[in-house]
Amino acid sequence: MTIRTEPLAGLAQRAPRGWSLSTWLDRESVFSWLMMSLPILFLAGFVGYPFFYGILLSLENRPVAQPGTFIGLKNFITDFHDPIFWQVAINTFVYTGAATLLKMVGGLGLALAMNQNFRMKNLVRAFLLLPFIVPTVLSTVAWMWMLDPAFSVVNRLLIELGVPPPGPSWLGNPILAMCSIIVINTWRGLPFYGITLLAGLQTVPPELYEAATIDGASGWQRFRFVTLPLLKPIIMIVTLFSVIFTFADFQLVYVLTHGGPQNATQLFATYAFDIGMSAGQLGLGASVALAMLPALGILIVAMTLYMRRA
Amino acid sequence: MGNGTRRDFLKITAATAGAAALPWRAQAASKSITLLHESSFIPAFDAYMKNTIAPLYEKTTGVKVNYELTSVGSLPTRVSTITETGSGADLTMDILLTPFLYDEKLADLSDIAEEVGKKQGGWYDAAKEAAVVKGKWKALPFANIGQLMNWRTDWFAEIGVKKFPDTWEELYEAGKKLKAKGHPFGFELGHGFGDNHGWMYPLLWSYGGHEVEADGKTVSIDSSETAAAIDFCRKFFQDTMMEDCLGWTDVSNNKSWMAQQISCTNNAESILYIAKRDFPDIGKVTDQAMNPQGPKGRFHFMNSISHSVFNFSPAKEEARAFLKWLMTTNALGDWYNSADSYYQPLLHGYDKAPMWNVEPRNIPYRDALATAHLPGWPAPASPKLAQSVAKYVVVDMFAKAAGGAKTPDVIKTAQAQLKQIYSA
Repeated sequence: MTIRTEPLAGLAQRAPRGWSLSTWLDRESVFSWLMMSLPILFLAGFVGYPFFYGILLSLENRPVAQPGTFIGLKNFITDFHDPIFWQVAINTFVYTGAATLLKMVGGLGLALAMNQNFRMKNLVRAFLLLPFIVPTVLSTVAWMWMLDPAFSVVNRLLIELGVPPPGPSWLGNPILAMCSIIVINTWRGLPFYGITLLAGLQTVPPELYEAATIDGASGWQRFRFVTLPLLKPIIMIVTLFSVIFTFADFQLVYVLTHGGPQNATQLFATYAFDIGMSAGQLGLGASVALAMLPALGILIVAMTLYMRRA
Repeated sequence: MGNGTRRDFLKITAATAGAAALPWRAQAASKSITLLHESSFIPAFDAYMKNTIAPLYEKTTGVKVNYELTSVGSLPTRVSTITETGSGADLTMDILLTPFLYDEKLADLSDIAEEVGKKQGGWYDAAKEAAVVKGKWKALPFANIGQLMNWRTDWFAEIGVKKFPDTWEELYEAGKKLKAKGHPFGFELGHGFGDNHGWMYPLLWSYGGHEVEADGKTVSIDSSETAAAIDFCRKFFQDTMMEDCLGWTDVSNNKSWMAQQISCTNNAESILYIAKRDFPDIGKVTDQAMNPQGPKGRFHFMNSISHSVFNFSPAKEEARAFLKWLMTTNALGDWYNSADSYYQPLLHGYDKAPMWNVEPRNIPYRDALATAHLPGWPAPASPKLAQSVAKYVVVDMFAKAAGGAKTPDVIKTAQAQLKQIYSA
C-alpha cells in the first residue's frame, strides 16, 4: 500500500468552483435550519394557526356561515355575565383537581406495586395499559351500561349488600354524576400515571436503598427520603400533562351525560362545543374555550418554574 | 449521512411537499350531485334512497346522486364545515333549526316549495314554520319525526285506565298509582337532543307559557303560566318517575322501556318499532297517544327534517331539479313507507297515504302535526333560539325544579339566560 501525498483529485477540483447550491446546502447552519423548517411549518400550520385563529374568533361576533365582525372583549364579558359559565368553571376545576389528585395518588401506588417482583409481571404491566388504550368513546359506553340503574352491575352489587333498590342514581343525581365522571376519568388516566412513574422508579439506583437500609431507615423513610425526591420531577411532568388533558376533557362527558343533569357535569370543552357548534355561535364558543387559557397558563408556568428550581 | 443521501432526501421532501400543495381538483361535477344525510335510525330508509331512488333518478335524468351518510349527531358539525369551506356537498338534510343557522348559505327554494305544495295538496302550517326564513323557503320540508306519548296498555289497565289520559293532571294521577305498583314513568329531563325538548316545550305551551313573545325579542318566560307548568313538572317528576330521569340522554328511555322498567314516556316511533321487531311481547302492550292537554290546549314538538341546497354549489341547478323531482315523484311515498311512519310527511296530499294503514297505532303522529311547533314558538325560529336550545335553558329550568329547586329561582335563572341570549 502506498501513501498518497498529493491532494485528492475530487476535492482539488471542487474547491475553486465558488458558490453552488449543493455546497450551500451542505453547510451545517443551512442544513440544520432546513431540517428544522419542516417541523416548524408543521407546528405553525397545525398548532399555531388554529390557536391564533381561535383567539381571533373569540374577539368576533361570528355566527356560523356568516362573516365575523370585530367586537373586542364583548364575548368574554357575555361569558362573565352568564350564570352557567361560572357553574361550568367551578365544575371544570373540581373535575380536574379531584381527578388529578386521585390519579396521582393511585398512580403512585400502582407504580410501587408494579415495581415489585412477582410472576407474570410483564403481562400484568401490559394489561394495566388497557383503559388507556381502549378508545374513550367505547369505554365510556361500557361505563354507561355499568351505571345504568336497570342494568348496573354496581347497583346490583350494592343491592346484594343490602342497599334498598334501585340503588343510587349515578348519573341522575348532580353530585353523584360529578363523582362518576371523576372516577371514570381516574380509571382511564391511572395507567398513564402508573406506567410513567414505574419507569421513573426503575431509574432509582438500588445502592441508595441499600445505603438507606444500612443507615437504619424504615420502609416509609426509604420511600419518603429516597423514592419521593428522585421521583418528583417525573411526578411534576406527568401531573402537568394530566392537568392539561383533564381540563380539556370532552369525549367522556359528551358521551355519558352531555353536561347534564342540569349542567352538573358541564365542562368548558362541552359547553364551548354546544355554543360553537349546536348554537352556531363560533365567536362566543371560542371565547368559552379560551376562557380556560389563563388559568392553565398560570399553572403551566408555575409548574415549569418549580421544576427548574428543583 | 452522506452528502448524496442528504440531497436525495431534500429532493424527495420537496417533491412530496410540492405534490401536497397542488390544488386538489374535483372531478367534473356537472353530472353528479351529493346529498348529505344523517344515518337514519331505520336502515331500510337509507337503503331505499341508495338502491332505488338514486338509481331511478340517474336512469331518468342522467344525473348521479351520491347519497353521503354521516353518523347520528354529527350533521351540524359536518354542515358547519361545508358552509365554512364552501365545498363538500350540494344538498343537505336539515334537522330542526339548521335552516335558520345557515340561511345565508342556502339557496332560495320558494318557487319549488310553491309548486310542490300545489301538486301535493298543500303544506302543513308547521312545514312553513320549519322552512321559511325571513320570508323565503330556505329548505324544502320533508318530514317531522314526531314525539308522542308511549304507554304500556297492560299496566295502565291494571289501574283501570283503558284509554290514554286526556289531560296532564289525569296522567299525573295515573302515574302516581303506577309508580306505587312498581311501574314508574320515565321522561327525559337530562341533556339529550330530542326526548327532553320533545315533551317539555309542549308542557310549557299547554299551560300557556313561552320563552319569548311572537316578536322574537321580548323574553316572556317569567309568567304565572310558566310557574304553573313548572309546579306541575316538579310533582309529575317526584311522584311518578325515578331520580335517574334527571340524567337521561336520548337512548335512556328506549333502554328502560325494553327493560320493562317504565310504563310511560315521550318518544319518537323508535320504541314501538324496536319493540315490534326485537321484543314482540312488549310490542303487543305498547301503544302511542297524543300529548295530554293542559289548561291552554294540546301541543306537540316539531322535530322537522328538510332538505336544502347550498347556494355556493357548482351544481346548484341540478340539486334544485333533483329536490323538485324528489318531492313530486311517486317514489317519494315508497321512501316514506320504507320507514313505516317514522318520518311523517308535511304535505296534506299524504294524509291518506298507504303508509298510515300499516300500523294504526302510528296514526296519532299524523294528527299531532296540526298542533306541532318548533321550540321557541310563537316566535319564528332564529339563531338566538338555537342558542337557547343548545344551552338547555328550558330543559334545565324544568329539571332544576324537578330536582327540588324553587319555582321563582329557576324562572329567574332562565329569564337571565334568555335575556342575555335575545338581547345580544
